[in-house]
Amino acid sequence: MGMKKKRMVGSTIMIAVLTLFSIVYIYPVFLMFMNAFKPFGEVVSDPIAWPKQPTWENYSYVIDKIKYGQLFMNNVIITVIGIAGIVIFSSLAAYILDRRPGRYTKLVYTIIITPMLIPFQTIMITLLKAMSVIRLSNSRIGLGIQYWGFGIPMATFIFFNFMKTIPKEIDESAHIDGASTLRTFVSVIFPLLKSVTFTVVVLDVMWIWNDFLLPLLMVNSSNTTKTLVLAAYTFVGQMNTKWQYAMTAMVLTVLPSIIIFILLQKYIVDGVVAGAVKG
Amino acid sequence: MQATQQKSVSAHSQRKKKEARETFLFTLPAVVLVCMMMYIPFVMSGYYSFTEWNGISKAAKFVGFSNFITIFSEKSDYLTSIWFTVRYTFLFMVFSNILALALAVALTKKFRGANVFRGLLFIPYIMSMTIVGFIWKFIFSKGFEKLYELTGAGFLNMSWLGDGNLAFWSVVFVGVWQSLGFYIVLYIAGLQAVPADVLEAAVVDGATGSQKFFKVTLPLLGPSITTCIFMSLTNGLKVFDIILALTKGGPGTSTYSVTMKIYDEAFTKNNYGLGSAEAIIYFIVVLVITQLTLKAMSKKEVDL
Repeated sequence: MGMKKKRMVGSTIMIAVLTLFSIVYIYPVFLMFMNAFKPFGEVVSDPIAWPKQPTWENYSYVIDKIKYGQLFMNNVIITVIGIAGIVIFSSLAAYILDRRPGRYTKLVYTIIITPMLIPFQTIMITLLKAMSVIRLSNSRIGLGIQYWGFGIPMATFIFFNFMKTIPKEIDESAHIDGASTLRTFVSVIFPLLKSVTFTVVVLDVMWIWNDFLLPLLMVNSSNTTKTLVLAAYTFVGQMNTKWQYAMTAMVLTVLPSIIIFILLQKYIVDGVVAGAVKG
Repeated sequence: MQATQQKSVSAHSQRKKKEARETFLFTLPAVVLVCMMMYIPFVMSGYYSFTEWNGISKAAKFVGFSNFITIFSEKSDYLTSIWFTVRYTFLFMVFSNILALALAVALTKKFRGANVFRGLLFIPYIMSMTIVGFIWKFIFSKGFEKLYELTGAGFLNMSWLGDGNLAFWSVVFVGVWQSLGFYIVLYIAGLQAVPADVLEAAVVDGATGSQKFFKVTLPLLGPSITTCIFMSLTNGLKVFDIILALTKGGPGTSTYSVTMKIYDEAFTKNNYGLGSAEAIIYFIVVLVITQLTLKAMSKKEVDL
């Protein structure tokens, strides 16, 4: 009885400490949101307090000024193109690499996954030149396509490891029914990859949506191709003392990620864990 | 009989041929894309590292090892930036892993709302690192100023981004703050995989709480620790966005990372050849550090 009571007191203290810690920890994010609802004078005079009279004025100004709708669409286009290519080409390659073991496939597998060792900054200088030669720079579609090359190594690795868990008898019975290899993959195998596809999508959406350096090199010259993060970076730089507008632009940049995270928390965390453990 | 055998042999070889063609076609897009975005630029970097090239003129001038000599000469701040990156990465690894493990242990205790805490701590990780840098820039300047007015606590009045030494710690702090949630969820997953009966057996054998943790849980957590150490290592070595938003590498070169140095060399100073040489050395440094760490970790895991 005494032991149990002691443990209860202990866990109450622990929860109290954790609560306090979490509030302090997340306070900076909260602070950003608060200051986006204040007029200029209030941000300067009291940056840490609750807004006296919350105003939406900053939002209408910033949404109009940075052309938020256009930027948001740019991000969506780049991310969707990037993810689609990564998932299709990686799963296709991983399938055949697993099902046809041999010298050739072993070599191809090594060629595809080895680039995981190359840090992006090692190749960024010459990448810019190569991409402008084949006209993939300065374009949203071009940037989306570039993500294929950067995402495929890791995604193929994850798909390949998962493929082993799908019994070969499944393909064989489809073959006997007369389905071609491609057909078997599309209608029988790919649907079985749902969970691992989800892992790849979570990891790559988080990466592409928030990526900074590659878009900075490839699509920074025009407002019609810029990503959200790039525009926010430029905008915050220009607003160097007008923190109320800077904060609003920052909120608008991270808000989509936060909303998606709150809605899909469990799945996102599971996907991130699975990706890290397999990757 | 011979005829049918021949026929089946030829059918067999035809099928083999078809399979080989399929294998080739199925892997072709992946191979082509990886070559285009990774291998070709990589080989080009190797080539340009031996040249002097401003990025605009068509012809790059071959200069032998002169770029590498420049890098290792005294007036280059490349080595300073490598040294910063190594120190940053080390501290980032240590703090991320220790704090994440401690919090993960607390969060795997059964109580209501554990998932809410996990979710809150994960939020900075889903935000753009550039924005994270800006948030903290605001807090270190305006936020601390106001808090100092209210509390008078001395540390709030220090120049956290203006003083070289303090700026270094600020950058490490913000780096850890941003990604701690990621390592927490990895450790939570690892802790949940520790079999309950092993822990119960330890309790039956009379192990105390801390004995249970250090003698049973920690060794069984080996794979998670390896993953987290390796991830924090590679992420630390790549640091860029956070620093760009927070300090731009300053004051002076006190928070100047090697990735920023490469970026500036090429895109600010237009020394593409020299930048390529710096990029190649960076690649070698990263490769050596990560491989040595992996080797050390795998040895350790076997020992346990």
